[in-house]
Amino acid sequence: MTRHPVFSRIDANLATLLIGAVILWFAPAGLKSYGLYVISLWLVMSIAAMGLNLTLGYAGLKSLAQAAFLGIGAYTTALITAKGGIIGPGWSWPLAFVVSGAITFFAGVILGFPALRVKFHYLAFVTLSFATVMFLIFRNEQWLTGGVYGFSNIPRPSVMGSKLDNDLAFFRFVLVVTVLLSLAMWWMLRSPWGRAFTALRENPLRAASLGINLRAYTLLAFAIGSAYGGFAGALYAPLVEFIDPAPFAISASFVLLLTVVVGGQGYFLGPFLGAAFSYVLPEVLRATGGLYLLIYAALVLILLLITPQGIIGIVEKMRENRRQKAAQEQRNASKVMLEA
Amino acid sequence: MKMSKRTALLGGVTLTLGLGLGAAMAQETVKVVGVIEMSGAGATAGTNYKNGAQMAVDEINAKGGILGKKIDFVVYDTQTNPGNTRAAVQRGVDEGAFAIFGPVFSGPISASMQIAQKAGVPQIVGGEAAGLTKQGVTTIFRTSLNQADAMPKLAEYFKNDVKANSVAVVWVNNDFGKGGRDAIIPELQKRGIKIAADIATESAQADFAADAIKVKSSNADAVFVYLNEEESARFLRAIKQQGYDKPIVGETTLLGAKVIELAGDAAEGAKGHVGLSVDAPNPLFAEFGKKFQAKFNYKSDHNGIKGYSGMYMLKHVAEKTGKLDKEAWLKYAHGAIIRTKDEPGILIDSKFDANGDVDRESFLAEVKKGQQVITGTLPPVNKF
Repeated sequence: MTRHPVFSRIDANLATLLIGAVILWFAPAGLKSYGLYVISLWLVMSIAAMGLNLTLGYAGLKSLAQAAFLGIGAYTTALITAKGGIIGPGWSWPLAFVVSGAITFFAGVILGFPALRVKFHYLAFVTLSFATVMFLIFRNEQWLTGGVYGFSNIPRPSVMGSKLDNDLAFFRFVLVVTVLLSLAMWWMLRSPWGRAFTALRENPLRAASLGINLRAYTLLAFAIGSAYGGFAGALYAPLVEFIDPAPFAISASFVLLLTVVVGGQGYFLGPFLGAAFSYVLPEVLRATGGLYLLIYAALVLILLLITPQGIIGIVEKMRENRRQKAAQEQRNASKVMLEA
Repeated sequence: MKMSKRTALLGGVTLTLGLGLGAAMAQETVKVVGVIEMSGAGATAGTNYKNGAQMAVDEINAKGGILGKKIDFVVYDTQTNPGNTRAAVQRGVDEGAFAIFGPVFSGPISASMQIAQKAGVPQIVGGEAAGLTKQGVTTIFRTSLNQADAMPKLAEYFKNDVKANSVAVVWVNNDFGKGGRDAIIPELQKRGIKIAADIATESAQADFAADAIKVKSSNADAVFVYLNEEESARFLRAIKQQGYDKPIVGETTLLGAKVIELAGDAAEGAKGHVGLSVDAPNPLFAEFGKKFQAKFNYKSDHNGIKGYSGMYMLKHVAEKTGKLDKEAWLKYAHGAIIRTKDEPGILIDSKFDANGDVDRESFLAEVKKGQQVITGTLPPVNKF
């Protein structure tokens, strides 16, 4: 029996994503505001990490500016939606979402140009300076961003006329946006674009010889990854309802980088695991009292020592071991046969 | 990068786990959740605040608690990060806290005070930034003077005691420092004092040599230093290395015990205005200072006093209303005058106004021989 082409295209990643989304839709019904806040934050940061995973994990470009893109998205959204919104409360958030993505996409293109000239840690420096400049703009341009005093009273979006002030409703809204963005990413990674991004990372020379336009794809990877940072920012601002420059500082970019590495760079589900590790685990570890940051740091070190490929790497390693073992057994068996 | 179905599913299951929720506390105790900077840039201030509060809790519990119920005081670290602070305040509210205690830094307070407001939970904070009590939040209460109240007192001091005609202002570029800078400059200018230099520094900055040189070359009659604790100490060391010999004036933090300890000889001669001090000529402060030293083996700064007196304020108001009712508590606390004869734990007569600002006496001080010495007492802004 041949499978319907649609089913053959549904792979394990997509299945996990959809099943996970259904579970998440219903699971947190009993959670209070705190729990909902933490899992909403997890999803939002997963989106930002997903973008970085594209630039770093698939295209192999080391960017230290993802939190700056998150910030651009968050401030854009705050400016567009605050005080009733520039086009009324109903449509301001969708507008802000699109504008946040567009601005960060083009910022990514502009930042991507030096990416064509420099590589590896030099590229990291370029993005680092961009992140620093953005942080200084968030902090010093008080007329626009509120400066160190921050930007408060950022409203939650409205859907069909009702404002999502209820935390569960807002969480489900975040979930829907996350699933849509994940589906887009999933589709992209399986498309010729995604293959080209991976080819860029694995062997740029060979990729070029196969006719892949290195310049265009490098720019595209950077820009799309940055736009995901902007999309995440558009959700971050109404989630916290207050922004100041602190969550978009360099250290936040490092945490996002850690998120991608810990989750497993280049794996579709890596950012979700990584964000759970970076943003949810410290909250869970609070139960251990004053030592929680020490325990967390130790866990990061141990994890990266055991499995440099991140959390998904553990599972992959186990599978690889099993495969090796099976192959060994087969070899042994065939040897016996030869001898016989 | 293909994965097996099982791998992916395992990942999915892991995603949906990982959230623990605090169980609701039994009503046998009064739950007070401390949301305090135990790590990050605010750790020095936060640790003092928490220790002061903890000492008050231990004392109050030893005497039977509030209205016969012991205080259950738990502390959640904010990492001095607004997002984490918000999560922690939300957690406290979800856990049914009677009050939120903290944070101390103004940015994290801004990020979290709406949560307490929405839930109608009193929040007793250590922040000084002027804007906090201007936004119509009805659940916030300060334990220290508002910058807007402290700075006019300090500007007077510059004019009458320091007799400066020009001042260099050094501030830390966060909302505490910026708020102080924005409050003092017009007050100085109003009194005909020129601003010779306006120098912004970074939070957690390590090297202040360049800033010290700028101050020196500005030729101002005095320098006003408005930085957080550790940065204050580093600045004092840097400016002493430049051989600076003009008055170094600060507001509360600069003259704090921790700064004097860290700066050593470089703190000698620094002076200014302090809201609270264990060295103030007040037997209750002195007694508190002794108890604190005995318990934690170091000298409390103003943040320790804020934590301690704030907890007693919480207790006093609850006892005055005769019940553990947040609404009644808030109603009584707005406009409450708490005198030491009724509640010695408040340490100094204090009045809380409708915005949650506190008014009380404050002090002029100077560092002499490694000690903060009080040189004068200033009356409250509005007599009560």
